[in-house]
Amino acid sequence: MKPTLWFAVAWITGFAIPGSAIQIVHAQRSTITQQSTTTRPIVGLRKADPSPVLLVGADVVCDPDSPSKPASILMHGATIVAVGNNIQVPAGTETRTLSGKRIYPGLIDAMHDVELPENLPTDKTGYWNKNVSPEFRAAWATTSNENERKKLHSQGITAQLRAPKDGIIKGASCVVLALTPDHPQYLLQRDVFQHLALTVPRGKRRDTYPNSPMGAVALVRQAFYDAIWYDKANRVYQNNQTVPRPRPNLSLEELSQTLHSGTFVVDAPNERFAIRAGNLADEFSIDMILRGSGFEYCELPAITRQGHLVLLPVDFPDTPDTTTLESIRETPLREWLHWYFAPENPARLHREGVRFCLTTDGLDDTSSFLKHVRIAVDRGLDSRVALAALTTVPAELLGVEKRTGKIQPGMMANLVVADGDLFAKETTVTETWVAGERFEIEKEKPLADDPLIGSWKVTLPGSKQRISAVLVFEKKDDKTTGSIRCTKSQSTDEDPNAQQREEKPEETRVELKNNVRQREKLSTSVQLSKLSDAFPEGVSQLTLLIVSNVDHSKESPLVLATLTTPDGKSQSVPIRRVKRQDKPEQEVSPTPTAKETSDSNVESSERKPIEMVYPLGAYGLAQRPTKPNAVLFRGATVWTSGPKAKIDDADVLVIDGKIAEVGKKLVAPKKCVTIDARGKHLTPGLIDCHSHIATDGGINESGQAITSEVRIADFIDNSDISIYRQLAGGVTASNILHGSANPIGGQNQVIKMRWGGSMEDLKFADAPAGIKFALGENVKRSSGRYPNTRMGVEQIIRDQFLAARQYDADHKAWQDGARDRLPPRRNLQLDALVEIQTGDRWIHCHSYRQDEILATLDVLEEFNIRIGTLQHILEGYKVADRMASHGAMASTFADWWAYKFEVYDAIPYNGVLMHDAGVVVSYNSDDAELGRHLNAEAGKAIKYGGVPEQDALAFVTLNPAKQLRIDDHVGSIEVGKDADLAVWSGPPLSPTSRCEQTWIDGQKYFDLKTDRMLRARDKSLRARLVQLALETDNQPKSDKTKDEEEVKEADRWERIDVYCNAGRSQGESR
Amino acid sequence: MNRVGTHFFVATVLFFALPSIAMPNDQVPGAPQTSPILIRGAVLHPVDSPVIVRGTILLEEGRITAIGKHIESPKGALIIGAKGKHIYPGLIESYTDLGLREISAVDVTVDRSELGTRNPNVRSWVAVNPDSELIPVARAGGVLLAHVTPGGRFVQGQSAFMQMDGWTEKEMTLLAPSGLCVNWDAMQPREKDSTKQAQQRDEKWQEFDEWVEHAKRESLRQADAADSISSDLRLEALMKVIRRDVPLVVSANRQSSIEAAVAYAASHKLRLIIYGGYDAQACAELLKHHDVPVLIAGTYRLPLRRDDPYDSAYTLPERLRRAGVRFAIGGEAPGYPGGASNVRNLPYHAACAVAYGLPREHAVRSITLSPAEILGVADRVGSLSVGKDATLIVADGDILEPQTNVTAAWIQGRKVDLSSRHTMLFEKYKQKYQSGN
Repeated sequence: MKPTLWFAVAWITGFAIPGSAIQIVHAQRSTITQQSTTTRPIVGLRKADPSPVLLVGADVVCDPDSPSKPASILMHGATIVAVGNNIQVPAGTETRTLSGKRIYPGLIDAMHDVELPENLPTDKTGYWNKNVSPEFRAAWATTSNENERKKLHSQGITAQLRAPKDGIIKGASCVVLALTPDHPQYLLQRDVFQHLALTVPRGKRRDTYPNSPMGAVALVRQAFYDAIWYDKANRVYQNNQTVPRPRPNLSLEELSQTLHSGTFVVDAPNERFAIRAGNLADEFSIDMILRGSGFEYCELPAITRQGHLVLLPVDFPDTPDTTTLESIRETPLREWLHWYFAPENPARLHREGVRFCLTTDGLDDTSSFLKHVRIAVDRGLDSRVALAALTTVPAELLGVEKRTGKIQPGMMANLVVADGDLFAKETTVTETWVAGERFEIEKEKPLADDPLIGSWKVTLPGSKQRISAVLVFEKKDDKTTGSIRCTKSQSTDEDPNAQQREEKPEETRVELKNNVRQREKLSTSVQLSKLSDAFPEGVSQLTLLIVSNVDHSKESPLVLATLTTPDGKSQSVPIRRVKRQDKPEQEVSPTPTAKETSDSNVESSERKPIEMVYPLGAYGLAQRPTKPNAVLFRGATVWTSGPKAKIDDADVLVIDGKIAEVGKKLVAPKKCVTIDARGKHLTPGLIDCHSHIATDGGINESGQAITSEVRIADFIDNSDISIYRQLAGGVTASNILHGSANPIGGQNQVIKMRWGGSMEDLKFADAPAGIKFALGENVKRSSGRYPNTRMGVEQIIRDQFLAARQYDADHKAWQDGARDRLPPRRNLQLDALVEIQTGDRWIHCHSYRQDEILATLDVLEEFNIRIGTLQHILEGYKVADRMASHGAMASTFADWWAYKFEVYDAIPYNGVLMHDAGVVVSYNSDDAELGRHLNAEAGKAIKYGGVPEQDALAFVTLNPAKQLRIDDHVGSIEVGKDADLAVWSGPPLSPTSRCEQTWIDGQKYFDLKTDRMLRARDKSLRARLVQLALETDNQPKSDKTKDEEEVKEADRWERIDVYCNAGRSQGESR
Repeated sequence: MNRVGTHFFVATVLFFALPSIAMPNDQVPGAPQTSPILIRGAVLHPVDSPVIVRGTILLEEGRITAIGKHIESPKGALIIGAKGKHIYPGLIESYTDLGLREISAVDVTVDRSELGTRNPNVRSWVAVNPDSELIPVARAGGVLLAHVTPGGRFVQGQSAFMQMDGWTEKEMTLLAPSGLCVNWDAMQPREKDSTKQAQQRDEKWQEFDEWVEHAKRESLRQADAADSISSDLRLEALMKVIRRDVPLVVSANRQSSIEAAVAYAASHKLRLIIYGGYDAQACAELLKHHDVPVLIAGTYRLPLRRDDPYDSAYTLPERLRRAGVRFAIGGEAPGYPGGASNVRNLPYHAACAVAYGLPREHAVRSITLSPAEILGVADRVGSLSVGKDATLIVADGDILEPQTNVTAAWIQGRKVDLSSRHTMLFEKYKQKYQSGN
């Protein structure tokens, strides 16, 4: 606000508010009238308009950039009329004195989700999938929760963004004021954003599409393309009505408008989702805002780079349970660290320049909102930034900046009145104004400051004479309890010393019973006869009426006491507070704020910075491994898996991440890191051609039989501890496959185990695209879904290839100028199938039985497709000749069998029989544990059928590289290939050898020494955090039991192919 | 996760499975030993005494009668030259459901877990299928002996120590019952709030206690009445443990579970064996003090907690050895996918421990003599020593190395058929390619 405005008296005339109009003329002379906002006839007599209100005596913070200054605020109706000093006040103005208070603009909560009513009138012309409902409106949810509204007021929140809760493309949000829905001012802004989730709504059936995050993202993508197509198709139809009319679709119409000119809010339940949302925004060039999670600090550089505004929650985690050693041990370091870092999240985001709003999103109890915001301020967030994130930033974002967010003439009268700095710990909000209506904040514990607490001297009528007594009120369990004792002083002597003397020997006390405490009144009963014989027998009733100002903290209230004696007579009795001498009783109720303050001081002083590690948690790295210019491995037994076979006492020189030379007694270049590998064995990094680690997208999208549109690549989880564990087993690359729930499954992603890197870093950039197919038992087990037999599996695959052929032809025709039709729709499912037919996408087909293998190869050959790999292929030995003639490669298990019926004929000689038939064979893991000792699995190829040792090693090095079409880059120790290497303590095919070092691209990602260091670091880190937690045991505890707590998004999804597993549970895989 | 359609799935599989599972395997049990067998020239690994290079071992009437450098050949002895070969005691899988499980995903072929939580009376050996295709496969890997255990949620049933050859389960059984299996996880509530958890745990403990006390009273009642008829099979079975005839074999991995199990067994003076033992090192003093041995549930296991060292399961045997806790190494735990079907991989679980510090001889002991001692059959099996059963294997190399194959085996002097469904299918399909079909 400009300083000149500050002292100016500003009058706004004719400021228009839809649905209401305010006319303000010079207040000194004219009356101010409000016009009716409703067409409903008035029943009975008319009522006077509310008076204008002038708030005086408080300090005012007009906006986040302005300092707090004494000023008055004049409001009329829903609007602020003037702000400043020396305001000319119209006659009949109600003046409210708020001495010692501070007034802020009403806060805006920019994220709150609401459940839409059941059984919405669903439009027949909506999208085919119920999760896509962009036409839904949060404004339809009109449920009014009085309690929740009170909580908002108590937190100073005057306006709130309400968004639809369920669905994937969920619908549009609106901004409402913290008023009842029938209030004329309630709806402040309609259709603000379109809300998206990139995962499956919670609490829904899991048998419909999509039932995985992968599927959810694919659905969003397809719906976007469909909306783009819908728009284009309609334009074509407008120009040429001889083509078929695109079937009207409200969802697509809505969505295409939003894509064109709207803004999306995308749920980002963890840091990875934030980046995924950013990628989606880039893919479709859409305006996007993140609905954050509090984990943003974990991927701060990437989130900063993407530059989207974040709707930030402040639901910081509870202090982990420190009550038993067991509970400490079972809490992963990742959770300890998150507990520590989460309150710093807002400050860290601000430091990097990420813009955000602070929201109540995710809080169990809205009334803890300010408490959490204050924690964030305490942990480094500038309070002005916090205020902006609650006022001006959301106001502008939500398009209501002309209406609210500042205290300024013409703005809505949305105000927060607090008894001090809003961001100081002890401050409480005393009243909140929403659209000119005042809401006094009920104290959470209304009797905490009961003015009756303390001692009162009363003079009671005895049977014969008046008797002095002392009434003592105390707070017990948030209730006011009282007792009375006699002073025996029968005079009305007011000398406090005399009183004290006389009081001491008398200890008889009588409790007050049946207390009913109203705001202004206490009714109680007491048997005075128990106190002294001087009183008549029976129960007397005592009523205290408190008649002073509500603000009672400063001076003692005026209290009137009435005693109704057992005979039914009522009389007023003199009562006055006993001053000063009741200190002990005053201290009965300790002020809770004092404790909090002292604790926070301890906290602050003990707080030394803890280093961020990537990924967050145990074994995370503070820095990425460095890449030396040159590395020389000296004196190892080198198993090249290449033409040089096995060389004893050999050297391998790595320059710039690539293998530069392999031989004996190589010359070390300058600035070369030399690894003494004498006595050790060196192999290419192992490659696992079938794995499900490092992905949090659910592995299986089983909602449909064909899911070629879903992509593992959308859901790489760079924080999966399995990555580190695979490295420790010498594995450098893995093929992360979709599960086996569908004949045509999702797209796979080949990764390198670049631990500590980003999701994108993990991807093997040069690996060609692939896709999972599956046959047999797993794909036919979904009853009610075609296919149910191997016969049907063959047919649906064939049908899909034909569909893709048609689809491709349609697109080509359109490109070639055929305009006698609607433009063809982009179909992501068929896109992938076209890519297969053009040789740009390789099939990895889960298969067991020989019949299904032959059937599939026949179908593929009909379409001139060469298969990428046959996965599992446990009966491959029965048809190895047919596989060889097709050119099919086999990625199998060393010795698994009998886990289901179709593998009852699986034999460990499968590898050698296929190998001897000329098939390229690899051994894979399909399992986070087995993947850690692929070297020993390869050794079994020697045992069962006598595969030569170097060929056996190739089963886990060069052959999987060939199968993934990455053998130009990895798989053998040959000049020019990536320096992906593993150092072994002994012969690599022996289970008695262990991996000692693992290198990727010439960078060391694992070695025993670093591993020991990380263990030690994590141990001390954990100890420190436990100490911190023990010191701050008054952290907010959510009232939910652990069972009720929401499962974190990343933990909602399986990390194994459940369609392959019959209920395996072995250790913690993440 | 999505388990929709499971019922249908099971039904479908049944259709295929039923005709097949009724079929016996083709391997014929060995005939009783009729003449002495002398095996010469092999490297003998007696386990309880030093390795004998180029040694000789004599088997008579199903027993080992001599072992050493030079042994006279008795008349009529079958003399087998085994130069370059290695002879070990038959390997012992110390915890498995071999014989109780055929095809994991086909429920009807699995007889591992009885309904309910209290099944001390059920006995694994009565459901072992001698014709399981999985048994010859295990034998071919050198595993001639196995501790066959039932599964379940809490008190699982009685286990047996069995030989992996025989016409009937009776011929196969060496010791039954050999233990009462209990899953102590059932005593550890999932409640995360520590205080509530402690309370719930006490309640469960109390329940268990009351049950045990009831068993004691019931046995007194029966002892008092000479002609009394048992009215509660469960209580009757429980008495075997209370009388210390049979040890409790308690599945427990986490420290708190192991500690609780030891405390329970100690307070009731029960014999105890821990199975699993992931955190056993942390309880080493306790385990040593009460002489509680541990059956390690395989070394190829993932860490239990995200923060645990990647190799915690790999190093467990060596850590227990250093701590002085008695242990044996088991193979892959019962269940999916390995378990019973890949009992043959037992030596590699021991080999993995070698990679992570365990001396080789201890690794071999951990799959032979140690489990025999722990399971109470060391007088019969577990080492090559005079008087013990002639249950041994001949291998063409170090049994811990995967290129090694078992070339011959005897159980109590009966020659073991080392062929299996796998070798038969191998031979069959070799012919397909040899004949150029």
